[in-house]
Amino acid sequence: MVVMEKEEIPHPAPPLKLQKPPEPEPRQPDMISVEDVDFSYSAHQVLYDVNLEIPSRAVTAFIGPSGCGKTTLLRCFNRMNDLIDGARITSGSIELDGYNINAPDVDVVDLRRRVGMVFQKSNPVPRSIYENVAYGLRVLGATKKSAINEAVEKSLRAAALWDEVKDRLDSSAYGLSGGQQQRLCIARALAVEPEVVLMDEPCSALDPIATAKVEELIYQLRENFTIVIVTHNMQQAGRCSNYTAFFYLGRLIEFGSTSKIFSNPSERKTEDYITGRFG
Amino acid sequence: MLSENKHTLGTFEHALENLRNNVMTMASQTERSLNRALKGLMERDDKIASVAIADDEEIDQLEKQIDKEGIELLLRFQPVASDLRRVVSAMKLSSNLERMADQATNIARKARKLNKHPALPEILLLNPMIEHAMSMFRDSVDAYVREDAQAARAIIPQDDALDKMNAQVSRQLIDRMARDPEQLRGYINLMFIARHLERVGDHATNIGEDAVYAAAAEDIRHQQVVASA
Repeated sequence: MVVMEKEEIPHPAPPLKLQKPPEPEPRQPDMISVEDVDFSYSAHQVLYDVNLEIPSRAVTAFIGPSGCGKTTLLRCFNRMNDLIDGARITSGSIELDGYNINAPDVDVVDLRRRVGMVFQKSNPVPRSIYENVAYGLRVLGATKKSAINEAVEKSLRAAALWDEVKDRLDSSAYGLSGGQQQRLCIARALAVEPEVVLMDEPCSALDPIATAKVEELIYQLRENFTIVIVTHNMQQAGRCSNYTAFFYLGRLIEFGSTSKIFSNPSERKTEDYITGRFG
Repeated sequence: MLSENKHTLGTFEHALENLRNNVMTMASQTERSLNRALKGLMERDDKIASVAIADDEEIDQLEKQIDKEGIELLLRFQPVASDLRRVVSAMKLSSNLERMADQATNIARKARKLNKHPALPEILLLNPMIEHAMSMFRDSVDAYVREDAQAARAIIPQDDALDKMNAQVSRQLIDRMARDPEQLRGYINLMFIARHLERVGDHATNIGEDAVYAAAAEDIRHQQVVASA
């Protein structure tokens, strides 16, 4: 007869430690402060009473239908609109880190160094990869070769392009793919060590892989830069931004954390736009 | 916030409408199955109880269909905000409906066992539970269909009353078992049926919670646990 051993009572299982979702990142101090801004192209008003605080070291996405004023506002941040006749802020103010960017004593070149920009279509200059990144530094008066070399490498690394181009820095930038050219433009913007990087639909001309690389880059860059991105791609805004601002007919309708805007927006217009009920 | 405007993309609108219609079809089939099972029990009708058991297959298929359509919707249209909540809650609802239909099958099986023996007058003890559980079921589905968060919230406290009824019926049946052990098997089956009805209430509560999520973007599940933690 087989004698059954007394069954040992297993030790009670240790309590389960559930993985908690990451805490939302604390909101950083505001980098750009938009107060009561009205903006017109000559007699045509395109922004109405916009108030917005853009936090530093975070990605803020501007969304809204075409013509809603999101790109106009973006271009106000580094006074790109100054280049258009009749375009001006008719009331209100925009402050960068506490300083009014439209004050008479503001050096626009310095402002544009502090607030870089990447456009919809990549726009490298017809020079080598190296020269494209070094361009801004030379404009600012850098002459020391070693310092420029260092800055070029640092910028290309920050733009996640270094490994792909380090062996052909002297080749023409035009030989790069569309996605690489866009990241080169980002590297060019980063080379002058801006505080803010503005991106106007930076992935609209890119394929999904190149888009993913740029989005990954945007996500990483937020640790060191304040990024404002204009996009028509809702999924892109959802994927790579911390905050989202929705504009409609020149007015800021809603601004909040991206997760709130895309899960339960407070305004009916926002809900209708992000769920595709406009038209 | 729920929008009443239509989507610009007609195929998206159509796919969401289709998903919702399938959930409503599944809910009405589940209700019919529960009614048949309970009729088979109360009227001692084996035939109708067997129909309730057969209903389950169709409801299982509907659950799979709703899951498939929901996944396809997520894949093709990447819904956000209220649309996303509608898809997620439809998929969760179908899972709860399928489990309710399983309870209908369980009740029908017990009914067929009970019907083999002389009727037990104690079956009448179940009547208040049947009424309450079915009312919870109808109210929860109705709140979901009307996207009425307030009505959905009102379902949740009703579950306590059903739990108490179940406890009371169990006590009464245990008392009968002690007094009349001959009918032990029958009383145990009645206790099981009470338990199945109590589970119907639990699933109705889940549906109410999902309806609140769909309509008001609030997760009201397990609030007592969180409060006491």
